[in-house]
Amino acid sequence: MLSDRAAVRATGVRKSYGKREAVAGIDFEVEPGICFGFLGPNGAGKTTTMKMIYGLATVDAGELEVLGMDATRDRRQIKSRIGVVPQETNLDGDLTVRENLAQQARYFGIDSETGATRATELLEFALLAERAGDRIHALSGGMKRRLLVSRALMGDPELVVLDEPTTGLDPQARLAVWGALDRLRRGGVTLLLTTHYMEEAERLCDRLVIMDEGQIVTDGRPPDLVREHVGREVLELRLDEGCDAERLVGSLDGRIQGHDLSERTLMLYAEDAEAVLAELDHEAYPTESALVRRATLEDVFLRLTGRSLRE
Amino acid sequence: MLEEPGYAGLGPRLPMREMVPVPRLAAAIWLRNARVFSKLWRGALLPTFLDPFLYLLALGFGLGTYVATINGIPYKDFIAPGLIASAAMWSSAFETTYNVYFRMNELRLYDNVISTPAEPQDVVAGDLAWSASRATVYGVVVLIVVSAFGLVSSWWAILIPPFVALGGLCFSVIGYTFTTLIPKIDLYSYFFTLGITPMFLFSGIFFPFNELPGWVEVIAWFMPLYHLVEITRGLATGPEFVEIALSTAWLAAVSALLFVVPVRALRRKLVA
Repeated sequence: MLSDRAAVRATGVRKSYGKREAVAGIDFEVEPGICFGFLGPNGAGKTTTMKMIYGLATVDAGELEVLGMDATRDRRQIKSRIGVVPQETNLDGDLTVRENLAQQARYFGIDSETGATRATELLEFALLAERAGDRIHALSGGMKRRLLVSRALMGDPELVVLDEPTTGLDPQARLAVWGALDRLRRGGVTLLLTTHYMEEAERLCDRLVIMDEGQIVTDGRPPDLVREHVGREVLELRLDEGCDAERLVGSLDGRIQGHDLSERTLMLYAEDAEAVLAELDHEAYPTESALVRRATLEDVFLRLTGRSLRE
Repeated sequence: MLEEPGYAGLGPRLPMREMVPVPRLAAAIWLRNARVFSKLWRGALLPTFLDPFLYLLALGFGLGTYVATINGIPYKDFIAPGLIASAAMWSSAFETTYNVYFRMNELRLYDNVISTPAEPQDVVAGDLAWSASRATVYGVVVLIVVSAFGLVSSWWAILIPPFVALGGLCFSVIGYTFTTLIPKIDLYSYFFTLGITPMFLFSGIFFPFNELPGWVEVIAWFMPLYHLVEITRGLATGPEFVEIALSTAWLAAVSALLFVVPVRALRRKLVA
């Protein structure tokens, strides 16, 4: 029924808060059944985009279609078919773990018996069966995140929107959340997520967009983006005081696909970084250290959004 | 450190479909609040039993020794029905100010509720229905206490609870409106000092208006507590149907008319 339709389609979507334009006209399309990522520095407009999709922000201009419905007009219908994992934990501290899920079932019109069965399943899914009777404040950060994911699944959604699902988690807890998301995608659920973690995006996302200052600066499959914007490998040089970076780059003209300089660290992007290193005139261009590595999404991200701090 | 919600404003006018709540979803909100209350009620209700007892002791038996009767009614019988009404008011005032504020701005529960099929009007309706129910519980507790003291002379008093629910609803809409509009929690002290406390003192619970200049009662007429006291006293001392009907209409009209304000303000707050 959804096979020929996009799960989400945005055309010229804009959103301002006062004078600040949070989303400055974006277009994208998410095919059903994939994991689609939004990357970008803080303030890039990722969370605002998410909120427009799940109905917590209004759309100022453009068209936003979610599961074939209009995000402004069909709020209730859209929300009955999506699940939301918000950035900030907003579990109900006055209720137990199980009661949080039972309460969510009520909002989706699920009768209490079915709700109880679903809650049991979801507690298993989130590896929280033993904590069912605990109060929320007794849970660790990772447990709260997993409970938020379970809560988002109570309405049996076709689309799950996750805003920074693993921020602040330890590596084990992050693995557990990733595992849960993998299982969901295998079950045919469309996932939409924002993240700051490049390895998370590389591992989870079939496709992604990189946003900066309210706009989409690129989109594609992670490996394609790496090849397109960076190349296959990176030669990372830590330059000595006296080394002239500009002349160094000039001396390798034609051998590299691009470069970035940040403080005294020079990144050279190439198909074969080892060969570039061999060719480098170490007498003329002294370096403290040199490192050859595979290019990653992080290189793409930093190339496109810059290296300066964003607040 | 408490995060301040800031002033979001009243928000734009809404079409009808964004103001009419879905009963099933309002009931879901009601059930959540009732569930939490059911865990705490023992501790919460005990002061409610003691409160009217203290007022009756100080005013009924203390002051009442000097003021024997008012309009032919013993003084403690005179104030007793008013204490039922004021218990409902205090309950609604606390529920729709601090309790709702905490759920909205600290627990941030409504962000989650609004991202399910529920909408702001369902949240407001459910919270108000709950607050009115809670006010009824508190009012009935006081009704039981004063009846036990033999201060209720009419069997019509059995009809008091539904009227307390209506009065509780009216107080709740007012408190909720305040909560959805205030930018920071400190402003509640104005709500209580300039709103609730004067209403408690000047709504005819402790003294009647018939010996005072006419304008005093005119001012009191604008206070919801005045109307609920009219009703509870009317029923507790023998019915006065016209006054009860007028006051009922007043409470119902104010509740209905004011409902749209918190709905608009909450939508503005949550769906920015």
